[in-house]
Amino acid sequence: MADLKCISCGSCGMPMRESGDFALGNVASLYCSHCTDEEGKLLPYETVLKSNVHYYMSSQGIDESAATELAKNLLSTKPAWKRSH
Amino acid sequence: MLKVQTRKEKKEQTRLKLVDSGMSMFAERGFLSTTMTEIASNVSVAHGTVFLHFPKREDLIVAVLDEFGTRLADAFEEASRKKESLRGVLEAHLSVLKTYEAFYARIVREEAHLPSKLQSLFLMLHAGVSQKIYLASEKELEKGNIRKFPRHLLFNTWISLVHYYISHKELFSPQGSVIEEKGSEILNHFMNLVRK
Repeated sequence: MADLKCISCGSCGMPMRESGDFALGNVASLYCSHCTDEEGKLLPYETVLKSNVHYYMSSQGIDESAATELAKNLLSTKPAWKRSH
Repeated sequence: MLKVQTRKEKKEQTRLKLVDSGMSMFAERGFLSTTMTEIASNVSVAHGTVFLHFPKREDLIVAVLDEFGTRLADAFEEASRKKESLRGVLEAHLSVLKTYEAFYARIVREEAHLPSKLQSLFLMLHAGVSQKIYLASEKELEKGNIRKFPRHLLFNTWISLVHYYISHKELFSPQGSVIEEKGSEILNHFMNLVRK
C-alpha cells in the first residue's frame, strides 16, 4: 500500500501500518480492527481488557492476575480509556 | 516560502524535543539518576515548561517509552518484513536492539524500579516480538526444521539470553555494543537449541 505513517491504536496502542489494521479498513479510524466491532465502533472496556490480558499471557506465559494488572495499566495510558480508567 | 508555525505546532515541537532529550539522557544516565530539570535544560527548554507538557515525572517517562516503543516496533517491522525464517526474524530483532541498545539496556536494568505502566508498555513490546517469532516458528515447524516448543517458552528462552548479555554488557563487551560482538554467538546457540 501507499506509504502510510505508522500510528498506534488509541485504545490498545497496537501499531497500525496497513489499512487492514484499522477499524473497517479505514485509515482515518482512531482504533484498530481488534478493538472495534463490525460497525467500526469501539468495543467495551472489558472486552478490550480481556483481549490484552490474553495477549500478555499467550506471548510470554504471564500469570492471569499479573497479566490483568499489566493490561489495566497499559490501557490507562491510552486516549480511549485514560480518563475513565 | 517560510511556513509560520502555529501555536499548536510549536507546542508539539517542544513536546517532541523533551521526549527526544529524555530518551538520550535516560539512555546515558539512567531513569533513576536523571531529573526533569536536566532533561529540559539539555534542549534549552524552561524548567516550568516541562511541567506544562508533563505534570508528573512519570508522564514524561511514559511518553518517552511510548515513543521508543513506536520506533522499535516500526524498525522491527521494517527489518523483519521480508524475513520468513526464524533465524531471519531473530536477526532482525538483534539488528533493531543494536540500534537502540543504550536505551533498551537502561530499561532492562532499571525495569523493577520503574512505574508499573512502563512495565506494561515494555512487556507489550515483547508481545509483538513474541508474535513474530511464533509465526516464523510455525512455518519452520511445518517444514520439520525445528522442535515444537510452547509459544511463550520459545520467546522467553530467546529474550532471557538476549537480556542476560545486555544487562551484563560490561562483562561481555566493555568497549562496544554487546549485540554487535555477541549477537551471532547468541543467535547460533539459540538456533542449535531449537533445531531438529
